[in-house]
Amino acid sequence: MNGDGDFLSLLPQTALTTARGDGKAVALEATTVFAFHYADGVIVAGDHRATAGNVVFSDRTEKILELDRHSLIAIAGSPAIAVEMARTLQTAFDFYRRSQLQPMSLQAKMRALSRLLHDNLPATLQGFGTVAPLFAGLDPATMRPSIYFYDPLGAQFEGVKHAGSGSGSGSIKSVLHFLEQWGSPTPEKMTLGEAVNLANRLLMTAAEFDTATGGVDPLRGDFATIKVLNGAGVRSITPAAQAAFWQEVKP
Amino acid sequence: MTTDEPYRWLDAIANRREYIRDQLKGATPVFAFSRPEGILLFGVGSGQSKVFEIYDRLALAALGHPVDIEKIRQTVIEAAHLEGFTRAAEDVTIRRLLNFSLGPALKAGFEQIFSAPLMVECVFAEVGATPADDVLARVNFDGSYRFQAHGVAVGHTNPADETAAVEWLRAQLAGALTTPQLVRLALAAWRALTADKAFVPPDAATVASPSLAIEDRVIEAAWLERRGDMRLRYRPLTAAELS
Repeated sequence: MNGDGDFLSLLPQTALTTARGDGKAVALEATTVFAFHYADGVIVAGDHRATAGNVVFSDRTEKILELDRHSLIAIAGSPAIAVEMARTLQTAFDFYRRSQLQPMSLQAKMRALSRLLHDNLPATLQGFGTVAPLFAGLDPATMRPSIYFYDPLGAQFEGVKHAGSGSGSGSIKSVLHFLEQWGSPTPEKMTLGEAVNLANRLLMTAAEFDTATGGVDPLRGDFATIKVLNGAGVRSITPAAQAAFWQEVKP
Repeated sequence: MTTDEPYRWLDAIANRREYIRDQLKGATPVFAFSRPEGILLFGVGSGQSKVFEIYDRLALAALGHPVDIEKIRQTVIEAAHLEGFTRAAEDVTIRRLLNFSLGPALKAGFEQIFSAPLMVECVFAEVGATPADDVLARVNFDGSYRFQAHGVAVGHTNPADETAAVEWLRAQLAGALTTPQLVRLALAAWRALTADKAFVPPDAATVASPSLAIEDRVIEAAWLERRGDMRLRYRPLTAAELS
């Protein structure tokens, strides 16, 4: 009953730990997640595929996870560890807000993710537990959303206009860079519908060049996982809503 | 005195109970209503909060000493989050928290007659998939608790007045009511319970009164929303939503 608001400190007191690196986990890598600014906030998207080597492990994986009403994470790397990190952060942010009666600052949230990545260093160095996530958060003071990307050791960098992670992110970052320079409109001036359609087209592009990226098939109703973050908080864009946007532009 | 002197221990417990009740006399009531759209929690504070988020589907409304409310709040929040992290959010329930965490702790604290008592009365709420699945629990300072049927829970320092207020509120809540109407109903019951006399059911004009002003105090209300697509159900009401 110390009430200091630090859930990560609370775990060892009760013999719980977030460490999961026992050297026996199956390495599931390769994925595509990305985020970019659009006119009304930030859009974070990802595919549904999890792979182990050349084996498709699952095509129903959720990689864009809401941490609280003002932040979300896009996971890339070892799913077992990445999902556990997301769950730990989710609980830590909720615990802080409820116990301290105020939301955790954006800086503290980013540091919490850095700390988890740094604590995961042994698994990263052994080569089976690498995690390289994206983080999008809203500053409670300014209500402005920001995008950050991390290296597997925990260093954080702001993606001023966009960020991507995973094996298929290279081609997506290239397209986003091109559109930011010469697009009309540029992504940061797009409406929600335009940004959602762009996200689906980007994933289709990435899947063309990366077998580990699950594609999008509008004809079958398969769309990306897409969440948006703006002054109103985190919101999911359902497949039905994505289908409606897709129909509007008749691509 | 030692605790192996039974009669003196009984005296001490009785004195302790009397002392706590006396200390709680100035505290004002809190309310929880189970409704189709969720559970509404209501309290009137004077600088200190009375309505709190506990976990994804759980909330607390409490009255008493602010420091003791804070102890209870922190205890339950820690227990809920450890349980939710170790198992799953669905395993965090009011029944389990009361049975295995808060209830025993409150009882042990009350019976530790050489330490300062916890002066707090609580209402816990857990929103379910339907109003029939909602759980409202009334928790006393001595660790005893009871689950409230029929969708109304009131926390007050006078048991007779509390029972009368619950019965009156049940009758008033039978129909469809908007959030501002629910707030006014709770406020009317609050005013009746804080009047310096036995509970007298407010008349219709009092309940319909648009005034939400209470000198030096602030109305606090929050919904535990029933919408199934949200993980976090607790939402404090803004001033605009109250009126």
